[in-house]
Amino acid sequence: MDTLFARLVVLESSAALILGLVLLWRRGVPAYVSAFTWQSIVLAATAATVGWFGHHGELYVVAALLVLVKGIAIPRLLGRMERRFATQRELAPYVNTATSLVVAGLLVLFGHAVMRPVVAASELPTRAAMPLAMGLVLVSLFVVVSRKKALTQVVGFLMLENGIALLALLGAYGVPLLVELGVFLDALMGFLVMQIFVYRIQETFETIDVDQLDRLRH
Amino acid sequence: MESWAIEVAQAALVLGLAPGLVGVVRWLKARLQSRRGAPPWQPYYELRKLFGKEVVVSRNASWLFRLAPYVVFASTAAAACLVPALAVERPLDGVGDLLVVVYLLLLATVFLALAGLDPGSAFGGMGSSREMTVAALAEPTVALAIFALALSAGSTNLGQIVARTLGDPAAALSPGHLLAFAALFIVMLAESGRLPVDNPGTHLELTMIHEAMVLEYSGRYLALIEWAAALKLLLFFALLGNLFVPWGVAVAAEPGALALALASLVVKLAVIAIVVALLETRVAKLRLFRVPELLSVSFVLALLAVTSSFLAR
Repeated sequence: MDTLFARLVVLESSAALILGLVLLWRRGVPAYVSAFTWQSIVLAATAATVGWFGHHGELYVVAALLVLVKGIAIPRLLGRMERRFATQRELAPYVNTATSLVVAGLLVLFGHAVMRPVVAASELPTRAAMPLAMGLVLVSLFVVVSRKKALTQVVGFLMLENGIALLALLGAYGVPLLVELGVFLDALMGFLVMQIFVYRIQETFETIDVDQLDRLRH
Repeated sequence: MESWAIEVAQAALVLGLAPGLVGVVRWLKARLQSRRGAPPWQPYYELRKLFGKEVVVSRNASWLFRLAPYVVFASTAAAACLVPALAVERPLDGVGDLLVVVYLLLLATVFLALAGLDPGSAFGGMGSSREMTVAALAEPTVALAIFALALSAGSTNLGQIVARTLGDPAAALSPGHLLAFAALFIVMLAESGRLPVDNPGTHLELTMIHEAMVLEYSGRYLALIEWAAALKLLLFFALLGNLFVPWGVAVAAEPGALALALASLVVKLAVIAIVVALLETRVAKLRLFRVPELLSVSFVLALLAVTSSFLAR
């Protein structure tokens, strides 16, 4: 039973990590949005899996909320932004695609190294997947710092949030429902604020390329 | 004695099926694109025609040009003897492991590239240079994907890997396995000159790779090279099918098990052929400068496969 649990969780975490890598490889925003949607659904599936095997009833509520907020609501808002900025593709990131993919691979290895003591100390059946969640956190962070378009950075930030939620699920079978609700609200609010910022950047600079923000200095 | 018979029968089967597989992929692609398409057995006619034609060789070509088709065909056929297409227990199973198979195929690639350079035509050199770029980028992925498989099976021996997955069916769904499959699938597309990397449908394109190298060949040389290319495609399909989804491969040398193995092999080849045909209908050829990006995706997948089968144990 525990083996099946461990395998399922590792499989789902790997899927979430691979979907995070889509941000580094693809250039079109629609691909980012669908990757984020699928990642959220995988995250919800992980929550349901942990709820089923770990006998935590409230994780089903978390899974349902995940699908609603991150699987449906935020992707729709992202889609709306995407239609407005569709012509602005991530053509020249700070780090080119091939290098960023290799860096992402190294970051995942680094995640393994960092999580090693935690995994060794843990008794949970989910421990094998924790380094992958850490890898997702690091890779999304890398997306945020290495891409120029504000929209890509927003999706990277949302994936970072997903990674942290995944880590919480795997490491502690989720946080209390009240905290989880607060986090959802935070994520949604943060996203709305970022959306307003992106629109403002577009209005002021006529591009969402954050490189242009340098001009404030001159 | 019986096991040698199986070995010979398997090699003959693989050699015989290879042109048909290429024909099936072409036919499927034609149907998907609403064309009638040549029948699946068309490549057999083409091979027979080419074997009957005289050979025309450039005056500038050296002995290497004449030798290369034989080396290409022989090393691909040798690799075909090592791949467990039907049965696990074969006398040649101990002769070479997955590394040997991959590097036999690479030997063929190297000779093909040399032959592309040899007559001094502009196209051949371009093709060779591109092929070597792709091969050099695909190589680390192949090594890592093999490493991932070998780590979970405890051996690089092909028969052992198959037997190990048969013994522990849940391992086929482990992320290490799935990621290595995805990585090898991308490498398969690159190495056998399929669509996102090279266009197998034409030799009238400036960005072609495989066709540019063999442009100078004619007659039986061309037949051997085309046959070897088809064989390479079939070997990659069979490796993907039998290493990652090993059910059906005959463990015991019984007629029933072998018949089942043959049926399952045909089904697996058909499924992968359909996937490749769908993919080739859906995607456009990548710009040559984006090919390294695709291959680095497969490299990262293979790296993740190794980490998840080594570190996450």
